[in-house]
Amino acid sequence: MPETNHEITLDSALGEEAVLATYRRMFAALARDSGAVVDDPVLVDIAETLFAAFAEAGEEWLTHEQMRHVCRAYSPDMFENRLRVLKGLGAIREVFPKPNQLRYRASFTSVVGLMFIRRMMDDGGQSEMHRLLALEDLNVADPRTTMEEARASAQNLARAFRLWALELVTLTGGTIEELREQAPKLWGTEEIARRAQNLHGTILNRWPDLDRTCTELRSAIYAYSDASRRAAGRLADSAGTTRNLTLLPAETWRTFAQTASKERLAAVLDGFVFDAPAPWHDPAAIVRAVDESPRPAPVQPTPPRSALPDPGPADSYDAASDGLDRLASVAEGALGTRTSARLEELLTADGEWVSARRLLADLVSIDLRPESPYRLRWSDGLTAGPGAEPAWLSHGVLERTDREA
Amino acid sequence: MTPVSEVTPVSEVRPASEVTTELAHVRARAAGPLALEADAPAPRGMIRLARGDGSGFALPAWPDGATPAVLEEYQVAPVQVERSGETRRVLAAALKCCWSDLTADPWPGAPAPVDDVLAAYRALIGRGDDLMRNWAVGALRRLHDSAWLVVGDGLVRLGPRCASWPAESHAQLRELVRRLPAPGAEAAGLDVLPTAGAAGTAASVTVPEAVDDDVLGPLDERRRAEVVAAFMAVEHAAEPVHEARFPALRDPALRRVLAELLQRRGRVLVPGREVWTSGYADDVAAEAGTAPGEAERAVLTLVLIHSVAIPRAEGVLPADSWSSPFPTQVEELRRHTMMPIGELEAALRALRHAGLLTQVKAGEEAGGYVPGPQFHRLTGRARRRLQEELILAAGPNTPLAAAVRAKRR
Repeated sequence: MPETNHEITLDSALGEEAVLATYRRMFAALARDSGAVVDDPVLVDIAETLFAAFAEAGEEWLTHEQMRHVCRAYSPDMFENRLRVLKGLGAIREVFPKPNQLRYRASFTSVVGLMFIRRMMDDGGQSEMHRLLALEDLNVADPRTTMEEARASAQNLARAFRLWALELVTLTGGTIEELREQAPKLWGTEEIARRAQNLHGTILNRWPDLDRTCTELRSAIYAYSDASRRAAGRLADSAGTTRNLTLLPAETWRTFAQTASKERLAAVLDGFVFDAPAPWHDPAAIVRAVDESPRPAPVQPTPPRSALPDPGPADSYDAASDGLDRLASVAEGALGTRTSARLEELLTADGEWVSARRLLADLVSIDLRPESPYRLRWSDGLTAGPGAEPAWLSHGVLERTDREA
Repeated sequence: MTPVSEVTPVSEVRPASEVTTELAHVRARAAGPLALEADAPAPRGMIRLARGDGSGFALPAWPDGATPAVLEEYQVAPVQVERSGETRRVLAAALKCCWSDLTADPWPGAPAPVDDVLAAYRALIGRGDDLMRNWAVGALRRLHDSAWLVVGDGLVRLGPRCASWPAESHAQLRELVRRLPAPGAEAAGLDVLPTAGAAGTAASVTVPEAVDDDVLGPLDERRRAEVVAAFMAVEHAAEPVHEARFPALRDPALRRVLAELLQRRGRVLVPGREVWTSGYADDVAAEAGTAPGEAERAVLTLVLIHSVAIPRAEGVLPADSWSSPFPTQVEELRRHTMMPIGELEAALRALRHAGLLTQVKAGEEAGGYVPGPQFHRLTGRARRRLQEELILAAGPNTPLAAAVRAKRR
């Protein structure tokens, strides 16, 4: 499809060899070998990779090895083949023919050509057509333009529209998948048709003698508009219930969403009926909801506080308040006037385990308090009296040390 | 096509103001309970709720006294209720205040001040902070929007939908109201307030006898129950239901009976892949012409563009449906559209509540809205029309739009 347009814009000038060379360089990226066009997109990628490398290299140019290095992702055969073709068509040329150390440069025309081709691949030439129409518009308005130039321009445009329409007609009769993929690239918006008609009007006004050419142009524009509509109609009929949304570019959707007024947005859903909110609250569900109601945590009363002012935590640990007094009195009671007392006597004095146990606990406690002046000293003796209480009795001594608390 | 002819003699010319049964059912579903003029009969297959003055409401009646609660038996999720527990507790609090005479039916009850209902709710949940109050006010609004309550002028009344509780379940509600704590001492007295039914004749609820018996009659008990269950499922489940669960959807003969039940209500079966739901019949919907409010429609269109049209145009949304996994960010709606922010928030809430939008939460910031389960209910024709309307609106000058216009002409 893109080729058709190039012929139209260039073939009138193809007579001279210089133009032919430009033409060759332009299409070098697409050529498979010197005589035909590529059939594998990878081949174009290689050309693009090379051009990018040339752009980066600047005046250093590139050697064969360097070119091979940039294209290391591709197989050597493929690379060599591409390089040969590109050299053959003049897209890549020697900077200076010096044996053994050849450096190469890329042709500007080829790079531009490739950019152009990429764009054509993306939108099928719609934007090119816009540009072309804008240019022609300027041309025919220019006082220097001759009638012959205007005629050529109108004829070229008519041919472009005819070919475009033909392609659309062919697609419309083909498979739906192909149509879906290709048609949006080819069909013109009303904008293109309007521009073309404006141009047609300008030419006709300025050169009324060109009316035959203009009639041709007009009918070509109409044929093209009609073919666009047919292609769109077939797609609209065949597509499912949302697939046609694909056929508008995402940018169109975004623009609409961002710029449309509330009224315009709302109008889309005019006449659509939707359900009013009608959730069902079953009695059982209501009862369940009440029963499952999150209960607040029960209020916990704070403990009663003293009415007296609270001095806060004490600075130091006051051992005396911790029952040491009581333990001291127990120890004093056990010792009496003595400085030491035998433990087995103290423990058996009451003759029952309950009081002996309590006394022992107290005495052990006081022994463990380093600040107290009482110590227990255990000895190895052991009394076993089966009938007595306690029946087993370890011997030891409770004594008052010199240290005073 | 119109089953109405069975009850209306063909020769009888209907006044222009009268609407077909299907249309009445469609309007009741699309806009809530129908208001009836004084002494106007309820359309066929609808419950008539009469207020004291003779005017009233009409609510669709379900065959064989079924309610959407039947979905639970089939383990099919009903339409989701936003903050269901809270909403139902507020409804219970309103019942406590408005259902003054427990010997009568709950509807219409007596109006109660909003503050009383809030106090009853406070007593029910045992906390009284501001947050609780905001939640309760939100629940009141949702209950009002769905016609379970009527809130206005500082008063709460029981809404028409309260009359759709079957009589058998009233005992359960009565018992609940008895054991609920009273609103507390601060509640205002009710004696100064107007009472329903003061105008003479008492309010009444007339449930039509033997709804759809002419269609269901020939079926044996089991099939009849299957048809009714499938009817409730397609009409009230949140998502399309699988036919394996419902014999009446699998069996073509029973499905015909089901389609007949739906048709009388202006509805049709909408098939999916082995799943079914119901939607508005295209012709009746065109006649009904009701739609959400302008702001709601505008926001819904925006979500359809961002969640469906753009992903579709970018080729990342393969399935041919109006549901989408790509949420529309709220920020996008807020910043990059012509919608006023205040209207946007209210519209999002209303659309979410109606199941037209589903909120998707993903982390703290991300998340947004996707088209809700109601879009499953669009018939093929409605889906196609929605697509065309979007194309006409967004690309009016494209050949595609021209083709759409040409086809419609």
